[in-house]
Amino acid sequence: MFQQTVLAFFGSIFPVILFNIDRRKILWAGFCGAIGWIIYSLVYENTNNPILSSFFGGLTVGIYSESMARILKTPTFEFLIPGIFPLVPGMMAYRTLLFIVENNMSSAFSSGTQTLAVGGAIGFGIMLATTIFKFISRIQKNRKKLLTKL
Amino acid sequence: METKKVVEIAVLAAEILLSNGAEAYRVEDTISKICSSYGLTGECISNLTGIFISITGPDGEMVTSIKRIRQRRVDLYRVELINSFSRSLMEKPVSYEEAKRILRDITDAPSFNLGIRLMAASMTSFVYTLFFKGTIPDAIVALIISLGIYFILQKIDEVGFFQFLQYFLSGLLIGALSISIQHLLPIIQKDNVITGAIIVLLPGVSLTNGIKDILYGDYVSGLAQFGEAVLIIIAMSAGIVSALSLFMKWM
Repeated sequence: MFQQTVLAFFGSIFPVILFNIDRRKILWAGFCGAIGWIIYSLVYENTNNPILSSFFGGLTVGIYSESMARILKTPTFEFLIPGIFPLVPGMMAYRTLLFIVENNMSSAFSSGTQTLAVGGAIGFGIMLATTIFKFISRIQKNRKKLLTKL
Repeated sequence: METKKVVEIAVLAAEILLSNGAEAYRVEDTISKICSSYGLTGECISNLTGIFISITGPDGEMVTSIKRIRQRRVDLYRVELINSFSRSLMEKPVSYEEAKRILRDITDAPSFNLGIRLMAASMTSFVYTLFFKGTIPDAIVALIISLGIYFILQKIDEVGFFQFLQYFLSGLLIGALSISIQHLLPIIQKDNVITGAIIVLLPGVSLTNGIKDILYGDYVSGLAQFGEAVLIIIAMSAGIVSALSLFMKWM
C-alpha cells in the first residue's frame, strides 16, 4: 500500500503539469492525490466495496481541496483535478470495453454499471464536500442577519 | 472610471477565464467583483462558449458586450492569477491603463514549455501503469506511446482540429500500437499498457468543472461540460474498441 500511495502522489503531480499549475502548489496537489488514495484503500480494506470507498475518497479529496483553497486563497479545482486522478476507475472502464469487444454483453453490462457507479460515487463525494463548505461560508456571511431573526 | 472602460476590462478578464477552463460561477463572480470595485452594478451570463455582460453606469447609461470563446484549453495558473487580480481590485481599484497592463501580463504569463509537458505526459502514463499493477516493461511501453500521442496532439492543436476525430484517432493509435507491441514482445501485457496510456487523454477538468457548475446552479454550462467529457470518453473508447476488434480478427 505504501508503494501505491507514493505512486498516487506522483500520479497527481504529473497530470497537473499538463494543466500549467502554479509551481509553488505542485506539492500540495500531490498530497491531495495521496490522501485521497489512502482513505480509499483504508475503506476498501475494511468493506471490500469499491463504490463506498470511492465515495469516501472523493469526499476526502473534496474536503482537502476546499480547505487548501481557503488557506492558500486559490481556486478549488487546482487541487480537485489532481486529487481525482488516482480514483478514476480506468481499469474498470477498460475491462468494460474489452467485454464489449469479446461480445460478452452480460459481463460488459455489469462492469459498465459498476464503472458508472464508482464515477458517480466520486462525484457525489466531491459534491457533498463542496456543498458543506458552501453552506458554512454562507452561514458565516449571513451570521448577523440570522442572529437578528432568531 | 467610464463605464465603457470598466466593461472592456471585465470582458478581457472574462475572456481569459473562460478560454482557460474556469467554471461559469467563477466568471460571473469575477465580473461582479470588478464592477462593484468601480462602484457600478453589472450583470453577467456565462456559458461554456461565450459571455454576455451588461453594466449600468452612474447616470443610468447601460453598456452591453458579448464575447464568443472559440478556443478553449486548461490553464490553472492564469485562472488563479485573474482570481487574485479581482481580489486585489476589491481592496484597491487601479486605473484603466494599470488594469490593462496587469491583464496583458496575465495573458503573457509563463507556461511550461513543450519539453516539460512531454515529460509530464509520459511520466503520467508510466506512473499509472505501475499504479494499476502493471510491470516495469509495460510502463516503459506506455511511456513511449503516450509521449508520441501527446506530441502529435499538441502539433495537431496548433492547426485546429475536430475534437471527436482527435480523440478517436488517439484511441485507435493507442490500441493498435499496444496490440502490435504485445504481438512482438510477449512479456508486454496490452491491457496494462492501454490503461496507463489513456489516462493522459482523460477529461478530468471537464468532469469536475461540470459537477461544480451543476452544483452552483449553472445547468447550461455544467451539462455542456459534462457532455464534452462524455463525448471525449466515447470517442476514445470507440477508437480503442475498433482497434481491439480489428486486430483480434487479424491476429
